[in-house]
Amino acid sequence: MSELIGLAFAAFVVENIVLTQFLGICPFLGVSKKRSSALGMGIAVVFVIVLSSTITWLLYHFILDVLAITYMRTIVFILVIAALVQMVEIFLKKVSPALYKALGIYLPLITTNCAVLGVAIININEGHDFAQMLVYSTFISLGFLFVMYIFAMIREKLDFSPVPKAFKGTPIALIVAAILAMIFARFGGII
Amino acid sequence: MNKLDNFLKGFLKENPLFVSVLGMCPSLAITTSLENALGMGAAVFFVLTLSNFIISLIMSNKKLAELVKPVRIPVYIVVIASLVTIVEMVMHAFLINLYESLGVFIPLIVVNCIILGRAEAFASENKPLDSVLDGMGMALGYTGALVIISLVREILGQGSITIWGNLAIDLGFAFDFLKIQPLDMFTKPVGAFMSFGFILATIFAISNHKANKKAKEVKGQ
Amino acid sequence: MNKGLISGLVLLVLGLVCGLLLATVNYFTAPIIRDQELAVKLAALEEFYDTDNYTVEEITVNEGAIEAAYLLKNKTTDALEAVVYSTSAQGYEDKVKLLIAIDSDYTIRGYKVISQKETKGIGDQVVTHDFNVTGNLISDLASFDGISGPTAPFTTQAVLDSFMAVQARVNTDLGGDV
Repeated sequence: MSELIGLAFAAFVVENIVLTQFLGICPFLGVSKKRSSALGMGIAVVFVIVLSSTITWLLYHFILDVLAITYMRTIVFILVIAALVQMVEIFLKKVSPALYKALGIYLPLITTNCAVLGVAIININEGHDFAQMLVYSTFISLGFLFVMYIFAMIREKLDFSPVPKAFKGTPIALIVAAILAMIFARFGGII
Repeated sequence: MNKLDNFLKGFLKENPLFVSVLGMCPSLAITTSLENALGMGAAVFFVLTLSNFIISLIMSNKKLAELVKPVRIPVYIVVIASLVTIVEMVMHAFLINLYESLGVFIPLIVVNCIILGRAEAFASENKPLDSVLDGMGMALGYTGALVIISLVREILGQGSITIWGNLAIDLGFAFDFLKIQPLDMFTKPVGAFMSFGFILATIFAISNHKANKKAKEVKGQ
Repeated sequence: MNKGLISGLVLLVLGLVCGLLLATVNYFTAPIIRDQELAVKLAALEEFYDTDNYTVEEITVNEGAIEAAYLLKNKTTDALEAVVYSTSAQGYEDKVKLLIAIDSDYTIRGYKVISQKETKGIGDQVVTHDFNVTGNLISDLASFDGISGPTAPFTTQAVLDSFMAVQARVNTDLGGDV
């Protein structure tokens, strides 16, 4: 159990998906201009990462590995993720229009979010068992949500700051991300 | 559009990394040494050129294009993912060190927005030859951008330039001469975000300056 | 025929073609990859033993820091003469990976750091530092001597964790009456 807690903490801050593993940078920079959109994107990503990691893990261990066609991994995973995102979209539209309205526009963007495929592949590469996979994908995606929200708060303030002209937009966002990365790097020794 | 233009536009005018800001993840993660940047660039070159070729071949055939249209995104993904898997297997077999240092970012070429973006925006509407030129230009532009970032990070962070394997230039003498030391920070995530931010700002400053100059010239006339 | 169905078929055919292509490439690259991995492992074991004299059997272990064990059996007598453990424990920055070689009389033959990313100038001494246990019985780690300096306790702990894991495991592999 303590091992799982360690894994959860490591996934949440120490190996933070955005700031130390550089996955999901595109939505991190692209959809973080407002807190509300950062939150929407973050929640959608948590949902899709946990669901897709579970399905790809099961597929890998019970089908690809058994048939000895593990080299088909990348193709199968990305198709599963693309199909899954479509299905989640249709499902949400039918079941909960309110939630769909809030998350709907972020869903299509998620297929090409490298965090989703990245986490699915890391789960396989690290040899996580089912429980570890669940904990890891949940907390690594919550880490994404957490950092995304902090970043959006800073960026909202940044809009009112006198930023040099050349730094406006992406460059200053990257500098802010660098400072955040510096903070997160210091969690290193905790576990 | 002229053929040379198709090839050259990826270098500066539509540089995928510095102008369109696409394909960020690998550009931050693997640019710790020049060798990694070159390896990543080569992998993207192979995948982008071939995927552009295959997709434009499929889409320029009217009958086939008609059939493929409703499922074109999955078709693109299957083509790209197959090419990426081939790169992954070949690299694993013959360039094991590079394979290990690029790690998860090799399979992640599949979701690099540049490749799917070029397939949808260019290859699906143009002839095979044009698409190949476009793919090569874009990939070389991307590689160039990776090389710039990795040079900054490796020189400042480790005081060396690793060209390939053991072929490396040690810049220790220059650091000794200036009585400074390489800053480890630049090989860490902090350095990645920082270097990219400053490089991007420099590019914005130059293009702002050019735009101002042009505006002044127009006014003067 | 239904248009959607035809499109689906096109996708299926494409998938099959790609699958076949990948299978072909895999057929050529897979043996090379396997040989390479084996060669890397053997080269690491070469540090401690002359691998020509032994048959090496790899078993996957998942106990504490231990990831794998290599049982070295004498080629002529088929007696188990040594076990080499491949371990991986969390240091300050990242995992510290070690190989720890134990002779069949339970003495520590040696150890080697395979990979680490510890703090430059301090924790990264782990590669050359003498932890002062070589030649001891694995049950006796009292003389263990760590690295000092900021962040180094984490690095030392990773190495100690690896030795402790081996201590806990070694009886299972060597017959068990130390």
